[in-house]
Amino acid sequence: MAYLVQPDYVKYTCTCGQQKPITNLYFCRHCLKIRCSFCISHEVDSHYCANCLENMPSSEARLKKNRCGSCFDCPSCFHTLSTRATVAQPRQDPAAGDAKVENKQSKKMYYLLCFNCRWTSRDVGIPDQPVATGGWPERVNPFNSRVNQLLDFYKAVVQQEKQEKLDKERKKYAIRGKYITLTDKTGLTMAMARNIAGLPSSEGAPSSAIANFVPSQASAEWQPADVARLYPLARPLSVKRSQRCRLCDHNLTKPDYHVPEVKIISCETLKPGATCALLLKLSNPTAHEMQITLVDPAEVPEHQEREEGRTIEKSLEKSLCLEKDMSWLEAVSRKVDVTSPLSVTRPDVTLTLAQRDDAAEYDDDAHTHSDDVILWRKSNKLALRLQVQVAEGAVEGPGARLPLALRYSYRNTVPPASAAPLVRDHVLYVAVLLDLGQVYAE
Amino acid sequence: MAHNVKILPGATVCEDCTLEGDITIGGGTVIHPRVSIIAEGGPIIIAEYCIIEEYSKIIHKKSEKQENPPKPLFIGAHNVFEVGCKLESIFGHIGESNVFECKSFVGTSVRIGSGCVIGAACNLTAPQTLADNTVIWGAENNIREALEKQPSQVLQLDFLGKVMPNYHRLRKQNFHKRQPSRQSQDGK
Amino acid sequence: MELQDIYYNKFEYVETASGNKVSRQTVLCGSQNIVLHGKVIVQSDAIIRGDLASVKTGRFCIISKGSVIRPPFKKFSKGVAFFPLQMGDHVYIGENTVVNAAVVGSYVYIGKNVVIGRRCVLKDCCIIEDNSVLAAETVVPSFARYSGSPARLVTTLPEAMPDLMTEFTKSYYQHFLPTAAVK
Repeated sequence: MAYLVQPDYVKYTCTCGQQKPITNLYFCRHCLKIRCSFCISHEVDSHYCANCLENMPSSEARLKKNRCGSCFDCPSCFHTLSTRATVAQPRQDPAAGDAKVENKQSKKMYYLLCFNCRWTSRDVGIPDQPVATGGWPERVNPFNSRVNQLLDFYKAVVQQEKQEKLDKERKKYAIRGKYITLTDKTGLTMAMARNIAGLPSSEGAPSSAIANFVPSQASAEWQPADVARLYPLARPLSVKRSQRCRLCDHNLTKPDYHVPEVKIISCETLKPGATCALLLKLSNPTAHEMQITLVDPAEVPEHQEREEGRTIEKSLEKSLCLEKDMSWLEAVSRKVDVTSPLSVTRPDVTLTLAQRDDAAEYDDDAHTHSDDVILWRKSNKLALRLQVQVAEGAVEGPGARLPLALRYSYRNTVPPASAAPLVRDHVLYVAVLLDLGQVYAE
Repeated sequence: MAHNVKILPGATVCEDCTLEGDITIGGGTVIHPRVSIIAEGGPIIIAEYCIIEEYSKIIHKKSEKQENPPKPLFIGAHNVFEVGCKLESIFGHIGESNVFECKSFVGTSVRIGSGCVIGAACNLTAPQTLADNTVIWGAENNIREALEKQPSQVLQLDFLGKVMPNYHRLRKQNFHKRQPSRQSQDGK
Repeated sequence: MELQDIYYNKFEYVETASGNKVSRQTVLCGSQNIVLHGKVIVQSDAIIRGDLASVKTGRFCIISKGSVIRPPFKKFSKGVAFFPLQMGDHVYIGENTVVNAAVVGSYVYIGKNVVIGRRCVLKDCCIIEDNSVLAAETVVPSFARYSGSPARLVTTLPEAMPDLMTEFTKSYYQHFLPTAAVK
């Protein structure tokens, strides 16, 4: 497992070249490739409100502008508002009969309160409501009709442009996969989404009557300049996502692991020109025995995804007239930088790791080995002792990283497609980068 | 230091707390375990119906311009000191119905009116005066003004006053004569 | 790096039959209302207020030094009620943290110096970062990482969060050793 509260000391190299901790990677059991969040397609499964956890169908979400119908955020600090009940004291004539008054007094009225900044719906003069949820006055944008007019106009423009484009390249029609992507759904381009994610968030409303920029912009349709006109904001919805392989469209979120895990147990102080011991823990998370060999990172074969796609899948798709425009699927793959002042002596042995056994947790005696390489074994785990050489010219400083690669056997348990031949055992490679910490000069 | 703790009838004070110096605890006030109240710069007088929760610290700091006899620190009624808050004061008076939320810190040179809320983990260190009904919230100590006073915690106090004696060892009430006139004079 | 061994004074801690390790320097009020479901560590100066309402934890929970677990109250028209506080399995609560939540799910990591406001609901698999303040009645959905004051969603968590938390709390328990038992 990766490290929960520590930096990611061990990073795996994704098929696309990204360095990620093992928990942020996915393994496609059909392509037998490691995938990361940059080279898979993210899809919207459903919309839900993070506060009331109510699901909302996507059509309804679109209608409600991706906002929850019953939850509100505080307009001044954006914390979720809570509904409070008060016993209403009905206005009555002093002349009215006493019996009548008692009857009326049992009526409850509700208002909204923010527990963070103590904003209440009474602050801006919204009358208390007789029902706990819903029924809050909806505000209509004064320019609503004009906005709708403009929307309709530009929709027509888009329609026309689309038609023109279609006519132009009638011959080529691209099917963009079966599923709607996250960017399709929200109308954001990737660049915009990143831009938004990169924006620093700043908060704060002064006690003065002038609304701060951030709360003011939060209600974009009105942009009040006055705190007395900050009304509760309907809570934006969140989405549940699913991750799919871009090549084979299979779902990647599965509760099992496929790649051997490397963890650092300890490492001696690194000094230029010295050799120091590095203790690693390897574990086999799969339900099958696994053979692992340490190899040179340069030996990891370049993945040939494009070619594969062209030869097998493309020919099939062509025959079925299903040719996809694959250019958008292509992840930018980058070459992994393997130059490092650290190198390791690789023991020329194949390590066999037993399958994972949940019951083995209870017998806690590790079998210690007198072996030079293997320190101990315990069910599906073993500890390795390796020698790391630090180059003479190693620069003092943190972040000394050791590239390492594993060749491992993998038993594929996915039933093959009817036409494909049954290949169950595979030899796969994975490159890892170990952060061994600081290099200290003498 | 004189250890002169006066607990008025109706107060619930747990034994497991640190009370140092000349302290008066008003009736109806509940002091939870592990509270520190240290009156090193002068007496501390806590009025009625306050709640002081675990790990709260109320310190009457010694100041350089110490008067003789030292002025007491008067904490008004219905104040709530939530878990882990810290109040250091050299001023004589803190208003009523304030809420010091969890882990808030109020430094020596802050004057506090009534009905204020010092938000969780907010730090007030600079010399300032909080007007009535001021709310401090968030990491940047944002300020806003609440419409109305914070609701009183009388119902919670009733519950605590009933339940706590069943589970905790309490300090005995040792001061039977109420002298409200003298206290209110001291506070001003 | 692997978790280092954490040693405690053998005489300071009481170990129960179900594997709970509870420091003697804690304040467990109303201990008949506190249920620790086994292999739970409660460190020194932690306060659990079982006198206000019942507090239940799952297995493999870690309650660090100086933290306060306090059932929240709610006001009704006829008096107040303190709600029982429920905690799932594999929950870590950091040092000097105040938990006033109504429900804390399983596989939850709460950092140090955090304030969890009254009646918050923390769903399974979430992280509250160090020094955050969760305002009262916040709902933290699953696989969310909250930070800041007031705490907001900063990022989502990997799908492997249950396994991460399980391994973290189990190895913490394994590395939490009495000084006399040092090999």
